[in-house]
This record gives sequence, C-alpha cells and structure tokens, in this order.
Amino acid sequence: MDSRSTTNSAEPLALSRRSFLRSSALFGAGAVALAASLKPLLSLKDGPSMEQFLQKYYKELTPEEMQKVLERISREVEKEYGKRPHLRDLKPMDGVDFAYFLNLSRCVGCRKCVHACVKENNQSRSPEIQYIRVLKMPHGTFDVEKSEHNYNPDLVPEKGYFYMPVQCQQCKNPPCVKVCPVHATWQEPDGITVIDYDWCIGCRYCMAACPYGARHFNFTKPGIPADRLNTEMSYLGNRPRKKGVTEKCHFCVQRTRDGLYPACVEVCPAGARKFGNVLDHESEVYKILTTKRVFIQLKEELGTNPRFFYYFDV
Amino acid sequence: MGDKVKKRAVLSVLFVIAVFLIGGFWFNLWGKVSPVRQLPLIDADSELLKTDTWRKSYADLVREKGDIDVFDCYTCHDKDKKQELKYDKDNQLVVPEEHSDVVMGHGTHGRNNNCYNCHNDENLTQLQPRDGRPLKFDQSTQLCGSCHGPTLRDWESGSHGRTSGHWDHKIEDNKPNFVKKDCVNCHDPHKPKFPKRKPAPPPNHLRENPQPSVQSDTEN
Amino acid sequence: MITAIRNYLTFLWRCAKIAFVGDWRYYAWMGLLTTICLIGINAYCKQFVNGLIVTGMGDEVSWGVYISNFTFLVGVAAAAVMLVIPVYIYRNEELHDLVIFGELLAVAAILMCLGFVTVDLGRPDRFWHLIPGIGQLNFPASLLSWDVVVLNGYLLLNLHICGYLLYSRYHNRKPSKWFYIPFVFIAIVWAVSIHTVTAFLYVGLGGRPFWNSSIVGPRFLASAFTAGPALIILALQVIRKVTLYQISDKALLTLRSIVQVSMIINVFLLLNELFKEFYTHSAHAASARYLFLGLHGHHALVPWIWTAITFNVVAMVLLALPVSRSLKWLNLTCVLAIVGIWIEKGMGMVIPGFTPTTLGEMIEYQPSSNETLVCLGIWSFGLLCYTIFLRMAVPILQGRLSYANEGGKPLPDSLTGPNH
Repeated sequence: MDSRSTTNSAEPLALSRRSFLRSSALFGAGAVALAASLKPLLSLKDGPSMEQFLQKYYKELTPEEMQKVLERISREVEKEYGKRPHLRDLKPMDGVDFAYFLNLSRCVGCRKCVHACVKENNQSRSPEIQYIRVLKMPHGTFDVEKSEHNYNPDLVPEKGYFYMPVQCQQCKNPPCVKVCPVHATWQEPDGITVIDYDWCIGCRYCMAACPYGARHFNFTKPGIPADRLNTEMSYLGNRPRKKGVTEKCHFCVQRTRDGLYPACVEVCPAGARKFGNVLDHESEVYKILTTKRVFIQLKEELGTNPRFFYYFDV
Repeated sequence: MGDKVKKRAVLSVLFVIAVFLIGGFWFNLWGKVSPVRQLPLIDADSELLKTDTWRKSYADLVREKGDIDVFDCYTCHDKDKKQELKYDKDNQLVVPEEHSDVVMGHGTHGRNNNCYNCHNDENLTQLQPRDGRPLKFDQSTQLCGSCHGPTLRDWESGSHGRTSGHWDHKIEDNKPNFVKKDCVNCHDPHKPKFPKRKPAPPPNHLRENPQPSVQSDTEN
Repeated sequence: MITAIRNYLTFLWRCAKIAFVGDWRYYAWMGLLTTICLIGINAYCKQFVNGLIVTGMGDEVSWGVYISNFTFLVGVAAAAVMLVIPVYIYRNEELHDLVIFGELLAVAAILMCLGFVTVDLGRPDRFWHLIPGIGQLNFPASLLSWDVVVLNGYLLLNLHICGYLLYSRYHNRKPSKWFYIPFVFIAIVWAVSIHTVTAFLYVGLGGRPFWNSSIVGPRFLASAFTAGPALIILALQVIRKVTLYQISDKALLTLRSIVQVSMIINVFLLLNELFKEFYTHSAHAASARYLFLGLHGHHALVPWIWTAITFNVVAMVLLALPVSRSLKWLNLTCVLAIVGIWIEKGMGMVIPGFTPTTLGEMIEYQPSSNETLVCLGIWSFGLLCYTIFLRMAVPILQGRLSYANEGGKPLPDSLTGPNH
C-alpha cells in the first residue's frame, strides 16, 4: 500500500474511517488543550463590566450619563474598599489658568510632597506609584543624568547638592496629548492635562513621549490599603484606577477645582512650592512671574512649554 | 519506512504532547506568577504626612488656647529693673538657665547675640525693630522684615514662606480663606536656620533589583 | 448571485480542508507550531489576568520585546513589496509567479504585528476605542492612529490581491487587470508608508533623543528591505523542496541582489549614526553610549549590538563576494542578515531609547519568561498562518486544486507522491 492508494482508491471509506477516528481524536485533544490553555482566565476577578465596556468617551457623556457613571464607580469603590466615596465630576473654573512655581533655593529634599501626594491621590502602595520624583543634583548642573534618585542620608539637605522635584509639568504643548491614539488624555481649559481612566487602552505611547517621566502605568491591580483610601474623589482625578491604565499628577484636580492648594503645596515644610491662577494679579504665581529675575522650565528646548517653573530667590 | 507509518508516529507523538499540555495548563506546572512584592507603608501618623508647621507662632498658641506663659515676662522679671545681659570671654552671650530652651545662633560669628537687638529692654512683652516702633509678639514678622527686607518683600508677595488653604484668595465673610504662615512658624527666631531633617524613604522600583542609578561616576 | 456565493464558500471550504491534510513532515511542523501557540496563549492568559507585571517592563522601560518584534515584523511585511517592484515595474518574469508568496508572507507578518500590539495593550478589551467613528481615533495627530489605519489597510490590500489572484486561478480564469493591478501599485506605496509610519512613531518624540533623529526612517526601510527578501529567499527554498513548485535559482539570485544593495545601504546608515553620536559627545548621545559601549556600569546590550553589527557586516561582505551565489553560502548570509537586523531593530532600537530614562536613571530591561513565551506563541501563530496560506496557494497555483476537480474526485493529500 503506497501513498497513492489514498488518492485513487476505489475503497476510500475503510481506510478513511480509521484515519478519521485517529485525526478526530487528535483534533479533540487539540481542542481540549486549547480550552485548557485558557484556564488562567478562570481566576479573572476584576474584568470590565458590560456597563464599563460600553461607556462613552468623557467629552460625549451627558450629565445624566455622567451621574450613572459616578454611581457605578462609587458602587465599585464601596465594594472594593468598604467605604462610600464622595465622587464628583468637577468642571474647570472660568478665567483660571494654573501655574506652578518651585523654589529651588528652598527645596530641602525631604520628600514629604511625594507622600502627601500618594496619600491624597490614592496611588498604589504595592507596586509603588509616586507622581513626584525628587532628584538630588550636584551643584553646577541641570543635567539629569548626573542626578541621584535613591538618596537616603540621615539629614537633608546635604552640602554640595540641591534638590529638584519633578512631576507632570502640565505642558502647554503636551507631547503626551499629541500621541495618545484614542484621545484618552487631553488638556483642560484651566491648564491641567487629565486622563480618562475608563478610556485609556494602555498602549503606553504617552509614557514613551513624556520627556519628564511623569506618567506611570498600572502594571497590575493597584494595591491601596482600605484604611488609607481618600474618599474625597473626582472622576478625572484621584478615584482608584484599575490595572492597565496610565496615571499622573493632575494638580490634585479634586482639590484645586474647589479652590484648594494641591496636597504637595500644602505639605511642603520649606514653602518651596507655589501654586495659583496666573491670570489673577493678586496670586503668588503672578507675582513670582512678574518680579523674579531667574526662573526656568525643565528641558524647554523640546518645545513642551510647561506650566511648571523652577525659580530662585532672586 | 512508509510515509503512512511516519505520519502515524508523528500523530501519536502529537497526541501525547496534547495530553501533556492539557495537564500542564490545568495544573499550572510552569510559569507561576509570583505575588506582588509588598512594600512597607509609611506610618499613618508619621511626621512625614503632617502638614502642620514644626513651630507654632504666638498667634497660633492664642488661637488654640495653648500655653503662652512663657510670653508673660513679668511673672518673673521686675518691671522697673532692666535685665542686664551677660557675655563670656569670647563675647558669646551667656543664656541664663531660666531660658535654657533658647539656643542662640542668629547670624554667624555671633553677629546678632544681643537680645535687645530684637527684644525691647524697657518692655519685655514687646519687640522692637531698628526704627524703635513697638511690636507685639504676633507682629514678629514685621520685626524680622526690618532687617530681612528682601525676604519680607518676597513673603508679602507670596514667593517666600508657606501658604495654606485656598489658592483662590477670595475673601469670604471678611475672613481670608488662606493662611500665610509667619516667619516663626518655620524659623526659630533665636536660631533661624531651617533645621535639617530625615528625608522620607527613596522610591521603590517595580522589580526587586532593577540596578538603580549610580551617583557620581568618573567616566564622563 | 447565489451560485457565485456558493462557489466561493465551496472554494473556502476546500481550502480549509486541505490545510489539515499533508505528509508526516507537515504534521510534525504544524504540530510543533500549534504546541508553541497553545503555550503562548496560556502565557498571555496569565498576563491578561495579572496585568503587564508578568512581563519585564516597568515605568522606566515601558516598551519591550513586544514592540521590538512588532517593529521588525512591520519591516518584513513592507518588504513583500520588494518582489512586487521588480515584477510590475521592471517586468522581471523570473519573479512573476513568486509575488504571491511574498504577499502571503506580508499578510502573515501583519497578523503577527497586530498580535504583538494587542498583547502589549494594558486594556485590550478597549480596542474599540481605536475604531474611527465608533471610538475616538486621534487621527492625524497621533502616529499610532496612523499605524492602526495603514496596517489594517495593508492587510486588506494584500488579502484582496492574493485572494483575487488565487480565486481566479482556481477558476482557471485570467484575472481582470482592473481588479488587481491598481491595488498592486497602491500596495507598493502603501508598503513603504507602513514602515515609514512605524519609524515616525519613534522619530516624533522629542523627549527621547536616541529616536528623535531623521535617520530612523531610512534605516528602517533599508533594514526591512534586507531582512524581508532574505526571509523570502529562505521561504522559497523551503517551498521548492516541500512542494516541488517550480522556483528557479535565477529568481533567488535576483532577490540576492536586492538584499545586497539594501544591506550596503543599511551598514552605511549605521556608520552615519555612529559618527553623529560619538563625534559630538553631547549629553544626547547617552543612549547610544549605553548601547554601544555601556554607561555607568551597565552594559547588558553591548554584546548583543556588536554581534548584530558583526553579523550584518559579514553578511554584507559575503553578499558582495561571488561565493554567496552558491545557495549554501547564500542561506548562511540570509540567516546572519535576518538575525543581525532583528537584534538591531528590536533591542538595538527600542530599549536604548528608554535607557537612560528621561530623568537620568539607568534601569535595565530583561524580558520575563512569560513575555518570551507569548512572543514565541505569536511567532508560531504567524508561521502557522503562512504555512496554511502556502498549503492552500501552492496546489491552486499548480492547478491541482481547482474548480475543475470540485465535487466527486477526492482531494490529493500527499505532496511528495510521484505523480507530481
């Protein structure tokens, strides 16, 4: 019996039944193997609900739809953490253009701002996400390649160094907004660049584009201890994120759109951080802008035009 | 060896592999996902999370009905007799043991070691700037500013010092809704240099050993 | 109308059936690929459940082997056009019957690209946000949105061209020029555009000086037109051996001359890059220094890149010498070129862009085992697709699977029997 017999055979059925059974056994085994390979999906606990899957883009939501969305999120937070949040969708105030000034003559590198931010904005503790990164810079340079991120001496500030905290610079020409393929991040009229965590697809192009390392990704479900949850939340701000989306500093939108200082400004012991509406001539930031002789933007040659300035005592 | 025999052998081997895969997948025999590394939390009532200033001003103490006994000078001092200052042989002020909590250090080389540069020798419950006008303890900022002019200018415009509350400085009910901290909230008037402190812990990367940055390197 | 649909469905059914029929080598190959695919699917399910923490990526190096492979495979897909140009523009008859194998490779490569991008997403369930009209595609500002449009367009273009030509052949009909020639010419321009768009993804980012350079686009195309035809040379020899389809050595040598020129351009562009980075010695060259020399005590990529450069230079020299006219040497040269360019475009392009980070940190990246299994799974899936496409296409082109022997006559299932 050579191989040709299967081609011209007058009795194909007898042979093909056996080979049919053989091949269907293998086929069956293959199909079961395929099903078995999907076993990890059985332990999927936080998959998206149908409501969340079909949720419309933030800018297209009507107020009623937004209410439903806030209700859904509040329910989810309560289920997850056991606390009912006060969740709002705060809109930008009119006639407001935020600016942030950081006094490099004053920052002592204590990192209190980092932890105040983490506490206020419900950031993941394990794995750790911190919006603010304090760079310890040697005298005489702004080259971040010479910086140290992991300093941990007994006392700060250390002689011969200055400290430069970096967070989202809320650029006027943001590269992250330009590159997001789904418009999940955009700049609001008051100057804050926000992210809709329910729209982001997690491609991380914005993270590649940001020159300041300001954007952080949830590589897994964020670990927030329930007793540390800040229940004063806003939709575009500090509501708990899910895995697979990007987040970043948003100037504490849940505070600033109520007129309050961001948490980092509030906690800085050296008074190095200044925040306000640069259009208001009585604000600290306007006064710094118009009276201080020396202030800079980080990496300004890239054309990002940040709203975040570093200034000095002169 | 005929093609059919080889084919049957291959299919049998594939069947065995399929069974092995089913077992491997079902019992998760390889590639177990390790749990997320749990990092230590900052103590909930750690100093690092507090927004209070490390010192309280006279006005703060009055508002909170705290202990202001130390400002009531004439419980110990004599109203009619001027309190003389004592200096040692190096011209350093000798702080009397009743005021041992005062550590002098206002200016290098003992430049500002005369109590009466700031305190009024005729009325100890007042402060006096250079121009002689009397100031109360809750107006101490004006005293500091009488020498530290540029700093006072910056403090008034808001670029120096701490503000707290609302960036939106609307006056509500005639009360400003933001608080500008006084000099003495951050600076001990006798030893004003901003004290060093222990920083909060450094950042943790996602993976256990991501080979963090090397500080001063001599290559470039 | 109904008959036409019925005919088409029968055609598809027969094609599907023939994919499950073959000799022992076919079953062994397909079995191996399916096994690796299943392991890859299992690994991806773990990633889907636990998040991207199971990969080796982090905030600092936020793109890894998935995007590296994606970049390489877009180049392979674009290089299918390297068969089209000689045939349709220069009327090279040797390659005429082989164009379809190149385009089928392009389809398989695009499917792999789409696979790699999907597994890289943090929220693949939100893919519909990318669909223009239904979602919010940020076109034309975002280069990723361009990538979505051009890659899917290229897929449809090639599916149409291959499908139409094969179906016409199945019916032994001469294909109507208007249904495929314009598309072929569009495909030439489109192929260049898919790889240019992918290059621009990187070039447009001012915050990453390693990528923000105008040489990235030309380098991508030069390396794609080297690795792609090299892959096709190897694939054609496999087809020739396994299916006895007629492929002349002259066709392979024409492809060799394409690889020859492209590799010379690729190495020249590399020299350009090396000069620019190392002569100026500015701070922006930090990533290049990390890649080629090591930086601040970190040098994980240095052996890789120098291996790649060695492979490329050796391949270039062999291609220039007449010794590579012999198939044994040509095959070795192709393998060297493919591996060298895969390393260059993958690890040599994506990872140094993130090291040092924008804030000066040196965080090195290493793919995790789960990530590697997913990559192998997708590569196997692509090879599986390509094998199936060929398994369907070759009998059609040889006339053994056609409308004429529909219904009644049993399908030939052995490809190595003496009657072929």
